[in-house]
Amino acid sequence: MEELYAIILFLFVLFLLLGTGVWVGLALLGVAWVGMELFTTRPVGDTMLTTIWSSSSSWTLTALPLFIWMGEILYRTRLSEDMFRGLSPWMAGLPGGLVHTNIVGCTVFAAVSGSSAATLTTVGKMSIPELRKRSYPEPMVIGTLAGAATLGLMIPPSLTLIVYGVTINESITKLFFAGILPGLVLASMFMAYVAIYSRVSSTWQPNPEPAMSFGEKLNNSRFLIPVILLITVVIGSMYLGYATATEAAAFGVIGGLLLAAGQGSLNWNTFSESLMGATRTSAMIALILAGAAFLSLSMGFTGLPRALADLIAQWELSRFELLMVLLVFYIILGCFLDGISSVVLTMAVVEPMIRQAGIDLIWFGIFIVVVVEMAQITPPIGFNLFVLQGMTGHEMGFIARAAIPMFLIMVLMVFVLIAFPELATWLPDNLRAGPG
Amino acid sequence: MTILKGLRSVLDGLYFGAGVLAAMCLIAILGLIIVQMLARWTGEVFPGAPEYAGYFMASASFLAFAHALNRGAHIRVSILLNAVRPGVKRVIETWCFAVATALGWYFVYYAWRFVKFSYDFGDISQGQDKMLLWIPQSGMLIGATILAIALTDQLIHVLSTGDHRIKTDSVGLGE
Repeated sequence: MEELYAIILFLFVLFLLLGTGVWVGLALLGVAWVGMELFTTRPVGDTMLTTIWSSSSSWTLTALPLFIWMGEILYRTRLSEDMFRGLSPWMAGLPGGLVHTNIVGCTVFAAVSGSSAATLTTVGKMSIPELRKRSYPEPMVIGTLAGAATLGLMIPPSLTLIVYGVTINESITKLFFAGILPGLVLASMFMAYVAIYSRVSSTWQPNPEPAMSFGEKLNNSRFLIPVILLITVVIGSMYLGYATATEAAAFGVIGGLLLAAGQGSLNWNTFSESLMGATRTSAMIALILAGAAFLSLSMGFTGLPRALADLIAQWELSRFELLMVLLVFYIILGCFLDGISSVVLTMAVVEPMIRQAGIDLIWFGIFIVVVVEMAQITPPIGFNLFVLQGMTGHEMGFIARAAIPMFLIMVLMVFVLIAFPELATWLPDNLRAGPG
Repeated sequence: MTILKGLRSVLDGLYFGAGVLAAMCLIAILGLIIVQMLARWTGEVFPGAPEYAGYFMASASFLAFAHALNRGAHIRVSILLNAVRPGVKRVIETWCFAVATALGWYFVYYAWRFVKFSYDFGDISQGQDKMLLWIPQSGMLIGATILAIALTDQLIHVLSTGDHRIKTDSVGLGE
């Protein structure tokens, strides 16, 4: 009974600290401290330091700042303009027209950046005004952008997947490759929706695009080619086993700098801004990870993960039922927490359940990313919604409604992933063994 | 007042300076990884490179904590804060900074013990680098101390003026 009170107190402190707005990393640290004090007789402070030092000075973590930096560099180049100009001639002929530039643009930028907000702003900066000029229906323009930008979290490099990999000690390279096919499938599902909508809807009357010859099209997209090349090098070097995730990230930074220099947009200002931006974002995630490392140790002592795993085992849930429970759980959690925080906060409890149910942890990484991606576009605190609000000046309700079809497509994606787990597991199973 | 103003600029300089130092650690990580790759391709070995990169990673994170705090980069759940009246908000902000400051100094105290322990016993890394561990661990201690100072600074500001000094610039790119 005393045990139960302690667990209730522990959870109460968790909700209190997070809910009142204590910074997530510090809140996790505080909760962990309470848990240790309640459930162990160990010297809490010293244990905290040993745990946090070993997690903060881990070599796998170094992929994180470098991938963030690569995205920051490209974010500050002229990529936005080039993206729209380069992609639109190829999309004009498709049913759904230039709305596809949103989706394809996000997919391409997702492959150089692990962040969904950066993906959203880079693509949206240019495509929103251009699409409006051509009188595409506004909800479509905004909805597809909100939805497709979440691909930034799924297509490698993905910050969420790095954090997931570090938290459960799985290969980041494998996770990256697990994300590729599901990311592309999701992008195609968005595109299919746009195509169908454009044929069915009566309000779909965008201005026609002037015809372009193949040569002109190619000429317009010549600036995109270096970016595609960079993506190929970064992802290819990992796939062929020439480089670890961290080394591929280093290629990405160097490549990004060369690309920016070639474009003439590299100067002291953009360089230092990208570097300082990367430093801050990576510190933000590092603080959460430090708190989470201590919390997951503390969670272990509370017996909560074990008890929950046993409970789930007692219920004799099938794998499918367990996944449905987790789906609902993460969607609710995602209404209050950002993706990375949701992942680190829950993995200590969820990991034993998943292992017990015999679910592949690489596959589950992709599952969890799709699910926390959804949270990016659900109110009250969907992060992409905020960014879009700032960019378009629309009300939150309008943007959230525009994003609902994308949300439903992502739910559908979860079922596709469950029905065809090979989408996530085939590529990582066929990776060439890399260095270390 | 001039003393206070002087203190203000010294503190702001400290936070920003630590942030710049953290940025240099990132460049060092990049450099180490490139050198290690070059070494591997040419058949050489660069013993301890992963450990060195890890040390720089820890320093980069901890040294940037205060700077990230002041620029609003650290994530928090702000639903409640945005929903309440200004008077209540002030109370909640005070609570948040008080909790954070307490945790900050608690961490610094044990980090100090941790580093002192490594120093007194001359702890050496288990990896190929054979590094005296207190040296890289000091980066963590210094960064944590600067964070605790920054949190205290903010707490005092909330108590005296009712609001913090965190300036969030444009869009955070964390997510």
